[in-house]
Amino acid sequence: MNPRQEPPHEMLDDVAVYALGTLPPADAGRVRAHIATCAICSAEYARLKPAASAIGLSAETTGDASVCPSALLKPRIMAKIRAEGPPGARTPAAAPGRHLAWPAYLVAAACLAIAILTSVWNVALTGQLRQVQQEVARTTQRSRSLAQTLAEERTTVSDLLATDAKHYVQGNGEVVTRGSRLYVTMHDLPEPPRGRVYQVWTLPKGSKSMVPSSTFVPDAHGVAVVALSSDARATAVVAVSVEPDGGSKRPTTKPILVVPLT
Amino acid sequence: MEVTEDSDVLMARVRERDPDAFESLYDRHHRLVYGVALRMLGEGAAAEDVTQTVFLKVWNSPALYRGGNFGAWIVRITRNRALDVLRGRTARNEIEFPETLPEGEPIEDAAFAHLDAERVRRALAALPAEQREPIELGFFGGITHEEIARRCGIPLGTIKTRIRAGLQKLRAALDGAVTV
Repeated sequence: MNPRQEPPHEMLDDVAVYALGTLPPADAGRVRAHIATCAICSAEYARLKPAASAIGLSAETTGDASVCPSALLKPRIMAKIRAEGPPGARTPAAAPGRHLAWPAYLVAAACLAIAILTSVWNVALTGQLRQVQQEVARTTQRSRSLAQTLAEERTTVSDLLATDAKHYVQGNGEVVTRGSRLYVTMHDLPEPPRGRVYQVWTLPKGSKSMVPSSTFVPDAHGVAVVALSSDARATAVVAVSVEPDGGSKRPTTKPILVVPLT
Repeated sequence: MEVTEDSDVLMARVRERDPDAFESLYDRHHRLVYGVALRMLGEGAAAEDVTQTVFLKVWNSPALYRGGNFGAWIVRITRNRALDVLRGRTARNEIEFPETLPEGEPIEDAAFAHLDAERVRRALAALPAEQREPIELGFFGGITHEEIARRCGIPLGTIKTRIRAGLQKLRAALDGAVTV
């Protein structure tokens, strides 16, 4: 059993088990401490340890695919290795397998900066949203106004062309009534003098005072079509005069058009 | 198995972050690492995980290798990683696992630098079964000699004596098998 005829030593078996690496941690510490102070056990350890270490070599697999790692293992490992970049690119702080740790104050500063940027962004977005809302409101109002104008013009055209409309022609002017609606149309009408406009007057039935109505200027072709707000059925006379810009409360010039609705 | 000087040169280049040198080391030793892990864990996927962990450790911590027998060194790392896996598999600490061996110590067995796996297998096969079985169970099973004794139903002192006798014979057989 003991080919070298060693003197009996109660620890030698433990040294062998220690060399094999099968001692529990507590026993391993005890044996390790003993080897450090015992020449016999130290020599035995030096003799047996290489043999124990060689045991692992027996597990090397052959080329048989059934006992070899996947062919994908090497590319996977090499990809991790080469991902580090060329020599010198690796720094201790960015060692493989370790996450880059930011100092707490940098993390806090980054969070604060992000919060500020987010707030500024929100304010900017809120302002932009408010502008867009205002623009939408203005566009909607313009659309409604245009629609109303188109509707009124359509009504005007319809009334002016209606067969039941009454036409009162005088010179280059014409008053048209249809039901309660009342219109004045002019053609070949020159531009009013500077600072002046044309103003329509209506005389209600049974009244002796002219009532100021709309002001207008002709278009480039000398044409004007004015829808009046007065009730045609209660109007006796329609007149047009030249008045200061903004209109007058009473006619200040001799009317260029006076049309009794009789 | 390998030429120690070559591995030393390759490890020096690995320390200089040379991926080609690392690849050469992988090509030479991956079947050894995988084989040890597979023998200890009995599962290919787990053995591959350990193999990857071991080689990444070689790349990330090349300073741990201080010369000696590179194959024995990388087997030591592999065994330690596999022991970690075995510890993780045990939900309760019913089994006391062997000590994890230091990985930064040189293995002064340069005399075995030229061993190949087949010679070691033959030397192990030549041992009496009563000595070979506790040795292989201890090395690859990841259990303590106390657990070996319990599983084999053999007194603890007998197991220790058989382990020592087997290692002595193995040493003698490998001494004769060394080719320089």
